[in-house]
Amino acid sequence: MTETSLKPLAWAERAAWTAAVPANAGALWMVFGYAPVEQVMGEAQKIFYYHVPSAVTAYCLVFLAFLFSALFLWRERAIWDVLAHASAEVGWVFLTVVLLTGPIWGRSAWGRWWVWEPRLTTALILWLMYTAYVLLRLFTRRDARSARVAAVLAVVAFFNVPLVHKAVEWWGSVVHPEKVSLEPPMRLTFLASLAAVLLLGTAFTLARVRVGLLEERRLARMEES
Amino acid sequence: MSGFLRVAWEVFRKDFREELRRKENIASSFFFAFLSLVLFSFSLDPSLVDLPRTGGGLLWLIVLFAGSLFMGNIFRKETENGTLQGLLLCPVDRGAIFLGKYLVNLLFLLLLEILLWLFAYLLLDIRPGGRLLDLAVVWVAVSVGYAALGTLFAALIVQVRGGQVIYPILLFPVLIPLFMAAVSLTRRVVSGHGVWDSPWLRLTVLFDILFFTASLVLFDFAVEE
Repeated sequence: MTETSLKPLAWAERAAWTAAVPANAGALWMVFGYAPVEQVMGEAQKIFYYHVPSAVTAYCLVFLAFLFSALFLWRERAIWDVLAHASAEVGWVFLTVVLLTGPIWGRSAWGRWWVWEPRLTTALILWLMYTAYVLLRLFTRRDARSARVAAVLAVVAFFNVPLVHKAVEWWGSVVHPEKVSLEPPMRLTFLASLAAVLLLGTAFTLARVRVGLLEERRLARMEES
Repeated sequence: MSGFLRVAWEVFRKDFREELRRKENIASSFFFAFLSLVLFSFSLDPSLVDLPRTGGGLLWLIVLFAGSLFMGNIFRKETENGTLQGLLLCPVDRGAIFLGKYLVNLLFLLLLEILLWLFAYLLLDIRPGGRLLDLAVVWVAVSVGYAALGTLFAALIVQVRGGQVIYPILLFPVLIPLFMAAVSLTRRVVSGHGVWDSPWLRLTVLFDILFFTASLVLFDFAVEE
């Protein structure tokens, strides 16, 4: 990897954090200070403001992981691999958040830690696929071959997403809050938290990309010497 | 085109002969399946579980495990004997190599399913509800997809350290929609319904087409040095 400057990346990352921190602080205030308490589920419903945005962020990152993996398979430039790895890993983190916030909400709303309903089940299956990716990268060396293996996995996993959705939908459904129509203050809060979490995801991913690039650079230097 | 098929046939024939000669892969996988069947029989309380009706899902679980045991090794003898590079250096379309290996895996899975259901009928009285043809359709439809991803992933882990262990971890999450379809379709068959109009069959066929094509294309990247 040629020694291109990491400065633009560091700048972008700093910008992302500068935006993300106040955005999240603001969203937090809105969730607890502005958004009304929901009638049926009470305060616990507010976890929705992090549960759903985390899912959205995870899906975006999963898509990016696919995109970068495909690009890496097409043109084997290390930058695509670093981007793919970062997107998949951070996406996995947000999927984990979805799986942690879901049961917390579920326990308080329906009395059970887990229900096999379509959206949670889909999240679980996605999480399993991307945990496999994370484990694969943990257990393999940082070389072109392992990167290719991971890229193939990411592509296959992404192709599987619509099929997982369909399969889980038909498998059976239990109660899950359907498309609730949100009154304006709730919708506003939701949009705010969505923006905040997306910014957070961006910041984390950029940080992870920078770490990945530094790793590549270190490996390249070691090979040279 | 005929060259492509001829190469695939040669690879298939070579592997088929070798598997029969060495027997270790086939024998262990078949025996493992039978062992699992016996263990599952012990694990369920027949007074609470209507095995003839619900046993189908169990059998697919066994197919999943025993199948991965066999398929995970399909490239191992190539690396053990150092013949993988020789195979890849041949001036042939790599897709033909994939197809040859794929057909060996497909044949094994079909054989496994036939024998497994036979023993399940003998030991646990699991019957195909008078619709043996429909059951055969399910076997074929599911195995086509399973063998495709199984072969691709076997190629992926060939040069990964600890590949044998990570093979099922990578493969199983991606197979979940197919697995759900297999179980649902089997349930239909056992309860006496046909499978032709089931949306699950359409999902399975879609899965097969998508992942057979993807595996054929991605195989090249998987075995690249």
